Amino acid sequence: MNNTNRKRLADGVMFSAVRDSRFKTMKISANIIVPLSADSASANALLCGVLSRSTGAYPDFTALSRKLSSLYGAELNVSVRQAGDNQVLTLSASGLDDRYTLDGESVAEELSRLLCGVIFEPNLHGEAFTDEDVEQERRQLLDLIDSEFNDKRIYANGKLIENMCAGETYGIKRYGTAEKIKEATSQSLYGTWQTLLRTASFEILYIGDSDPGKAAEVFRAAFDGFERSPRIAQTEIIRTAGEVKHIVEEMNVSQSKLVMGFRAGAALPEKEIYSSMLMCAVLGGTAHSKLFCNVREKQSLCYYCASRYDKYKGIMVIDSGVEGENIEKLEAGVLKEIDDMKNGNITDFELNATKMAVINAYHTSNDTVAGIESWYSSQLFDGCFKTIEQMSEIINSITKEQLVAAAERLSLDTVFVLKNK
Amino acid sequence: MMNTEIKEVKSARAGDSYYKIKHSSGLNIYVYPKQGYRSAYAIIGAKYGSINNCFSMDGGEKITVPDGIAHYLEHKLFESAEGDAFTRYAETGASANAYTSFEKTCYLFSCTDKFDESFEILLDFVQDPYFTEQTVAKEQGIIGQEIRMYDDSPDWRVLFNMLGGMYHNHPVKIDIAGTVDSIAEITAEKLYECYNTFYNPNNMALCVTGNVTVEQVLKTCDRMIKPAEPHTVENIFEDEPYEIVKPYVEQSFPVAMPLFNLGFKERADAPLREAELAATEILLSALASPISALYRELMDNNLINSSFGYELFEGPGYCAVIFGGESRAPEQAAEVIKRYITNIKSDGIAEDDFAVAKKAVYGDIISSLNSVSSISNIIADYHFNGNELFTYIDAVANAGYQDVQNRLQQMLDVNNCTLSVVKNGGEE
Repeated sequence: MNNTNRKRLADGVMFSAVRDSRFKTMKISANIIVPLSADSASANALLCGVLSRSTGAYPDFTALSRKLSSLYGAELNVSVRQAGDNQVLTLSASGLDDRYTLDGESVAEELSRLLCGVIFEPNLHGEAFTDEDVEQERRQLLDLIDSEFNDKRIYANGKLIENMCAGETYGIKRYGTAEKIKEATSQSLYGTWQTLLRTASFEILYIGDSDPGKAAEVFRAAFDGFERSPRIAQTEIIRTAGEVKHIVEEMNVSQSKLVMGFRAGAALPEKEIYSSMLMCAVLGGTAHSKLFCNVREKQSLCYYCASRYDKYKGIMVIDSGVEGENIEKLEAGVLKEIDDMKNGNITDFELNATKMAVINAYHTSNDTVAGIESWYSSQLFDGCFKTIEQMSEIINSITKEQLVAAAERLSLDTVFVLKNK
Repeated sequence: MMNTEIKEVKSARAGDSYYKIKHSSGLNIYVYPKQGYRSAYAIIGAKYGSINNCFSMDGGEKITVPDGIAHYLEHKLFESAEGDAFTRYAETGASANAYTSFEKTCYLFSCTDKFDESFEILLDFVQDPYFTEQTVAKEQGIIGQEIRMYDDSPDWRVLFNMLGGMYHNHPVKIDIAGTVDSIAEITAEKLYECYNTFYNPNNMALCVTGNVTVEQVLKTCDRMIKPAEPHTVENIFEDEPYEIVKPYVEQSFPVAMPLFNLGFKERADAPLREAELAATEILLSALASPISALYRELMDNNLINSSFGYELFEGPGYCAVIFGGESRAPEQAAEVIKRYITNIKSDGIAEDDFAVAKKAVYGDIISSLNSVSSISNIIADYHFNGNELFTYIDAVANAGYQDVQNRLQQMLDVNNCTLSVVKNGGEE
C-alpha cells in the first residue's frame, strides 16, 4: 500500500486514492470526524441515516434503492464509530468496477457523484429534511440501540465501558441516547447538517481501478464556498486505574459473561501503543495466545476469551462467556496470565509467533477492498499513513522487555459480570 | 489408483479461471490463482455435517450417532499425539479456523508467507485423527460453553424454532452443536467411526485460492494425501412430508427487539441446478429487496427495519425460503408478506423489477470474486451441491423474465409456511 495519492481539497478535507486493478469492485468513502459530545452525537448519527435514504435527484428510499440495484447491486452504507473522544461518521458507496458491467456502464463515476450528492444535495424542503425520512431513520436508530441488548456479548461489553468510563467523554455512546434521538426534528437536523459541513474534518478514501481524478474534482467543487473551521478532539487519557469497580447484573440467560476493563497506560500519539498492541495479542489475540491455551484449552472454562486494545483511549478489554459457577475461577485465571507476563514469563515462541500472526494479518488485509479501507481508516488519527512494511518493521523490532513493560502498565479498572439467574 | 485429471475452467465474464482436478487419491481439488495477490486461502471439507447422524457404510448395519458429533469431531481433529495444529500453525504465521454446517465440515487457513508449510499442516492433521477418552472429555466444557452461547443468541433460536415448526423428521432441525446432554454421549470410539466413514478423499474437496500455482498444490497433495478406496456411504433420512409441522412457534427471551423468521417450506427432491438457482435469487431480489413494493409497504407500516433480509436455505433433503429480521409486530409483517406473495403470483413480477433485480444479483456474484476466502468457500459449497460457479454466473447473465415467472409459480406456498417469533418474556 505505497501508492496512496493523498491531497488536500479544502481546509480539513483530505482525499486519498489507492489505485488497484486487482478487484472486481470499487469503493469510495467519506469519513466525517467530529468531537464526540452528548449534545450532538445522536443528531449526527440520525442525520447520516437521513442523508443515506434519499437525495435531491432520487427523492425517496425506493427510487434511491432502484438506482443502486440497477448499478449492479451497488451499496450505500452508513456507519458510526467512536475513535477515542471523536465520533467518526462514514458514508460510503461501493459497486462493480466498470470492466465487469454487462453493458459497459461506468459505475465508478456514477457512484462518486451519488455519494457527493448524498452529502451535499440532500432531499430538502426549504431549510428542513422531509418528515418521512426523519421519522423512518429515527425508528431505525432507536431499533438499532435496542437490538444491542439482544446480543448479550455486545451488551456486556457496552455495560463495561459505560461503567468504566462514566463521566468521561469516551463513555458517551456512539449513537448518543434515545432521548436525544427523539428530540431531533427535520428542521434541527438541517442545522446539524450545516454545522457538519463547516466544522467536521473529512477524510475521503477512494479504492479502485478507475482514475480517481474526477471523484476528487467533484468533492473539491462541492466544498467551494464553505467557510470551514474543522476541529478534532484531544482524547482524555487516564493512565492508571483507582480502586477496582465490580458490577454484577443478573439476567435470565444460559451463559454468564465476564468483561474486564484495564487502563493500558499508553495511547496515541505515544509510540508505546505498538508494544501495548502486541502484548495484548500475545495475551489473547490468537489461537495460540496465553488465554486461549490456558483458560480455554487447559482449564476448559470457556469457548472464547479474547483481549483487545484500544489505542485511541489507551484501554484493554478482555471478554468471555462462562458457566456462572466458574466466573471467579476464570477471572483469577485471566489475572494469572497477566501476572505471568509482568514477571517476564513470555517465551520466544510466543513473541515470534504473535509477530508473524500480526504481520500476516496486515498483508492479508491488503488483498481485499475492505481490508485496504480499514488499513487507512484505522490510521486517520495517527498523523500519517504508514505502509505495511513500515508497520511490520515496528512490530518486528519490539522486544520481550518492551512487552513486559507494556504488561506492567496495565491496571484493572472495572469488572462487569452478567450473571445467569 | 487412478491418474490425476486436470481441467481448466474459464469465465470471460468474470475475467478469471481456475483448475478443477480429480486427484489420483480420489480427492476433488480446485485451484484458483489470483494475479497480484500476496495471500492464499486453503479450505478442505468433508461432505459430512450435523444432518448426517444416521448412516450405513458399504451396505452394513444402520448406525445412529449422537447429535452434534460432526461438530465435536471438528474440534478434536485439531489435536494429534504430538500437540495441536494451532501451535504448529503458529510457526508459519498462518491464521487457521474450522467450521461445521448442516452438510459439511471445513478446515481452513490463510497466509501470506510459508504457504507450503501451512498447507502441509492442514493436510496432515485432517488425515491424522487422534481421539482418547481424556482428550474427548476435555472438550465437553469448551463445547458446552459454545452451546450455551448459542442458547442465548436470539437469531440462532428463532431459526431453529422455525426449522422445528417446519420439519417433522429431517435432522436439519437439530442444533449443529447438539445439546449438553447429547455431546455427553460422544466417545473416542464413536468419533473414529464417523471419521472413518466420512473423511475419505472421495467424499472431500480441497479449494485453494490466491497466490498459488497448480503445480505447487499438486506437489504437496501427491506427497501428503493418502489414497483410499472409495466406499459407499448411505445417509439415512426418514421420509419428510411436504407439509409443515405447525404454522406458528414462539419463544420468550430477554430481548429488546423481537425477531421473526417466516419460512416457506419448499420441495427438496433434488438440489437446485445453476439456472434454477439464478432464477430463484433474481425472484427473491425482485420480491423482497429494498427495490420492491413489499419492502416499501413493510417499512412504511413500521413492520420491519433495516435488519430485514431473505435467504434461500437449501441442502440435502431440505429447502426453504426464509424472510426475517427484527419487528415489533411479527405476525402483521408475516401477513403482509403472505398477502403480497399471493397477489404477485396472480399479477406476475413487473418486467422492470426483473431487470433491476437481475443486475443486482449479477453484481453480487461478481463482487464475491474479490476475496480469496469467499472464492474458496463458494467453490466448496458449489462442489458439494453438484454445481459450478462460472456456469451459475452465466445463468444469471442469461436469465430470462419467463424463467423467473415460472420459478415463482413453483415455490412460496403461502399455505405451507412457519412463522417463528422470539419476543421478550416480560421479565426484563
